[in-house]
Amino acid sequence: MTMPRPYALLAEITYRCPLHCPYCSNPVGASLRRPQSGGYSNGELTTEEWKRVIREAAALGVLQIGFSGGEPLARRDLGELIRAAREAKLYTNLITSGIGLDDDRVRALRDAGLDSIQLSFQSDESSLADEIAGARAHERKLDVAAKIRAAGLPLSLNFVIHRRNIDRLSQMIELAEALGAERVELANVQFYGWAFRNRAALLPTREQVDRARDIATAAKARLAGKIDIFYVLPDYYEIRPKPCLNGWGQRYLTVNPVGDVLPCPTASSAIPDLRFENIRARNLDWIWQESESFNRFRGTEWMPEPCRSCPQREIDFGGCRCQAALLTGNAANTDPVCEFSPNRVTVDAQLDEINSSNGQVHDWTYRVNPTHVPVPA
Amino acid sequence: MRATTISDLARPSLAKGVRLQTDSTTGKNVLLYPEGIVELNETAHEILSRCDGRTLGEIVGELAKEYEADSRALAVDVRDTLSDLQRRKLIEFK
Repeated sequence: MTMPRPYALLAEITYRCPLHCPYCSNPVGASLRRPQSGGYSNGELTTEEWKRVIREAAALGVLQIGFSGGEPLARRDLGELIRAAREAKLYTNLITSGIGLDDDRVRALRDAGLDSIQLSFQSDESSLADEIAGARAHERKLDVAAKIRAAGLPLSLNFVIHRRNIDRLSQMIELAEALGAERVELANVQFYGWAFRNRAALLPTREQVDRARDIATAAKARLAGKIDIFYVLPDYYEIRPKPCLNGWGQRYLTVNPVGDVLPCPTASSAIPDLRFENIRARNLDWIWQESESFNRFRGTEWMPEPCRSCPQREIDFGGCRCQAALLTGNAANTDPVCEFSPNRVTVDAQLDEINSSNGQVHDWTYRVNPTHVPVPA
Repeated sequence: MRATTISDLARPSLAKGVRLQTDSTTGKNVLLYPEGIVELNETAHEILSRCDGRTLGEIVGELAKEYEADSRALAVDVRDTLSDLQRRKLIEFK
């Protein structure tokens, strides 16, 4: 097997965030270490450490960087990091709630070389959107969208779709049209981090999912050439798993706020027995090529049956390792979304419960922000 | 836009937020856009590298000359390629 090269780096520069969305994919137990010598704050990587990550990623072949979190605007050095990424010829994308983005800052980020902004929305109108975010954010986001347009930056709207907002898909698409977005991502919630904890409240019914799919398909055709619509399927309702990451350790890598390098952003919480390397101890090239965490599920050798002899194994790569771990307790199992998985019953049990409860509304737990913990001696 | 309805006078350009760049790992040309990468074949690259204010008619004329190709057949290919990219919001017409 020839060693693949990565195309995209997800730079999770902080877990701090002003919103409390119950579907957040950040680790539920996220904690920040107390300042270490040379540390930015709370154990987060320093500006210089991130610049090194960016240079090493570009040298490995990475072409795109997504600045994410948490809320990346919480770091005052964001512009400096964007500049470093552009110097390394990376396509730079900011994935943000927009909270904290005023005219001056949006122009500064543009002038630093930012290529595109993905602005999250929780719904199309403020009462539901603010309830989901756990913060008064919607009106500010509308204002931020206008500032992004005024600065001449391309705008994508990102919606996470779930049981409480899926019936407003048409209105969300209308909002994207009204705000002049180039792209809109309508992503059915994937169950990791806080979303996994809140599954009963977030999983939509089959009827909702069928209706949403029709609306998304029709809008995609109607708006072709005007707005690029990217619809992420609700995988629990599929019979074949998603080709997660296009294969483990094949195209993507994530660096989290404290410098752990992950094959997937949710792996640190979903797969507790996987040990991750840290950028403070190793360079990115070694981690990508040699580390146990990147090699454990690379290729097809690790696969059990029914994946091992399945003709789909190089198409869906056995699905998602994190989902296998969360639902079956073993990350090496076939993703239980697959109809051939002996564990499909665990997914069906969830679907049965939601679809037989007649739309009963469950409470959710809001995301809480990371707390400081001492560095172990 | 349907390929056949694109005028000879249309001026294709990269859409906002789309970059044309060489992938230094492979030497191939790629289009970069939010969370997406399209690897270009030679034809697509020859077309896109001319999407800088020139009209579709001018682009077809230049390519026909350079490749000594039949310009009517070439015009069909260029229109198909641009129409596909336009539907994906990677180029726009001015």
